[in-house]
Amino acid sequence: MAQEETELQIKTQEEAEPQRISSGVAELDEILEGGFIPQGAYLVRGGPGTGKTLLGLHFLRGATEPRKALLVTLSEPEGKLRKNAAKVGLDLTGVEVLDLGPTADLFAENRHYDIFSPEEVERGPITEQIVAKVETLRPERVLIDGLTHLRYLATDEQEFRRQALSLLRFLTESGATVLFTSEYGPQAPDQDLQFLSDGILELVNTPQGRTLSITKFRGSDFRPGLHGLRLSRAGMEVFPRLLPEAHGKIYPEETISSGVAGLDRLLHGGLECGTVTLVTGPVGVGKTTLGLQFAKEAATRGERSVAYLFEEAAETVVHRSESIGTSMRAMLEQGTLALVPVEALRLTADQFAVAVRREVEEHAAQIVMIDSVAGYRLALRGEDLVSHLHALTRYLRNMGVTTILVNETEYVTGDFRATENGISYLADNIVFLRYLEIDGQLRKALGVLKKRVSDFEKTLRQLEITSQGVQVGEPLTGLRGVLRGTPEWVGPPEGRR
Amino acid sequence: MTGPLILAVDHNERNLELLARFLQQAGYQSLGIASLVALDRILLETLDIGLALVDISGFDRSVWERCRKLSERGIPLLVISPRESAAIRQDGFSSGARSVLTKPLVAKELIRTIQSLVEG
Repeated sequence: MAQEETELQIKTQEEAEPQRISSGVAELDEILEGGFIPQGAYLVRGGPGTGKTLLGLHFLRGATEPRKALLVTLSEPEGKLRKNAAKVGLDLTGVEVLDLGPTADLFAENRHYDIFSPEEVERGPITEQIVAKVETLRPERVLIDGLTHLRYLATDEQEFRRQALSLLRFLTESGATVLFTSEYGPQAPDQDLQFLSDGILELVNTPQGRTLSITKFRGSDFRPGLHGLRLSRAGMEVFPRLLPEAHGKIYPEETISSGVAGLDRLLHGGLECGTVTLVTGPVGVGKTTLGLQFAKEAATRGERSVAYLFEEAAETVVHRSESIGTSMRAMLEQGTLALVPVEALRLTADQFAVAVRREVEEHAAQIVMIDSVAGYRLALRGEDLVSHLHALTRYLRNMGVTTILVNETEYVTGDFRATENGISYLADNIVFLRYLEIDGQLRKALGVLKKRVSDFEKTLRQLEITSQGVQVGEPLTGLRGVLRGTPEWVGPPEGRR
Repeated sequence: MTGPLILAVDHNERNLELLARFLQQAGYQSLGIASLVALDRILLETLDIGLALVDISGFDRSVWERCRKLSERGIPLLVISPRESAAIRQDGFSSGARSVLTKPLVAKELIRTIQSLVEG
């Protein structure tokens, strides 16, 4: 019996997860479910300028001490690599660099040769240098930048594959985790390197933006799909595609009041935590103002709201609020309200999702407002609006955040249409606003079309936004043909103003 | 160890360096010549040459004359050509070459050819 127990213990120890090796970029580790598996050889492939070397540099910087990292460069000279690293704030001091690239004097007449093939002449020296370096240094992380250049030294594909495999084996068996980069093209396919690797990271640069994806990862799960990537003076930033299922939180079943009695009555209390509300209506009718009412109320309870402004400047919104008697400055200072202007053309949907996550997870935002859906769609640059919004709103729901989506409809008057985007199914609640022409005057009305968690009032009420603030009047029961845009009074005149 | 002396004639200095390296690894002494003028001087001396390797690239047609002179002396001649060419092969064999090899050479094959020619 004791014998069996010990055997079982040993087995569990062997199967226990080895400590992952960080990629050097926190969000990439998330995508890799912790990081690389130790002593694996990972291929980073992509066209020129996609950030392969940069990723490798981040990886080297992740070593416990610089001495334990080795950079083997087969094409770019050491000086250039160190300079480029310094430019993006990656300090390579202490990191050992082995420069095995062709030197400038190879081109000088007296160094050029043709009697034997380069593979016979260079291979020995290159392999010897690597072996010698690794034996003295015993690095834990190795970056081989430009492994594909070894191909030019090989007499044929078979030879190259054999060499590359034996090099990678030597490195991993001596205890290192290896990243190697490959530049591929139609003239230089790298299928063989793909087969040799334990995992593949693919970097692509498209007009829609840069992406990173994992196309292979032996022995581990990984987050699939295309993730956002940005290369800047700060180095490489990764924006993992939002996986709503990966996030969740237990949250109280509370209803958030708007602070406006008539509106609360329409909603039978207010908006519930963890729901998505679409506030839809034509230009200038007061959607943003209405949405911000909830933020104002939440602020009095000390809860934080964040409004992402895709169209207006923060100052405009603050000024308009002041003109209707709400001072936002106090809320902004206390941190119960954040107005975040978003330049749609500069941000990708993945970057936006990461920003929202930070707000929710680090700053405890309870209400998130997206003003407007049209602006958000622009940020997607052609990608599917519905699937991105779906993922984002699902994440927010899982986290118990109350989401308000502002949607502008094109039709100012005339037959009623809630949305043109096909997004109304995403919303738990739909509040619509419209203009009415009554007795030659332009008035506003609002109503609720849908409310998932509770019942709602099926009438329309008049909306007035004055210097006294937002006021929602009594139900407009005396009107007919409201949704047509040209209402008529019928019945008793109590409803008339 | 005094093995046979191998005469290497090549217009490219770096080629000569590499030939010397590989020949030494195989146990042969070698002498590198980069010009036909230097070759003529060597032909005047009474050196015991075991084999001559002549890379004809970069030389003019007068290189074949020197090749004939080497073969007439009884020195096994190996001609190295820059490319596959029937004309070059013909010229080579007419000058008494035992074999015509095309660049780039495979080191192992070169050494094997030399071994068979020097022993024979």
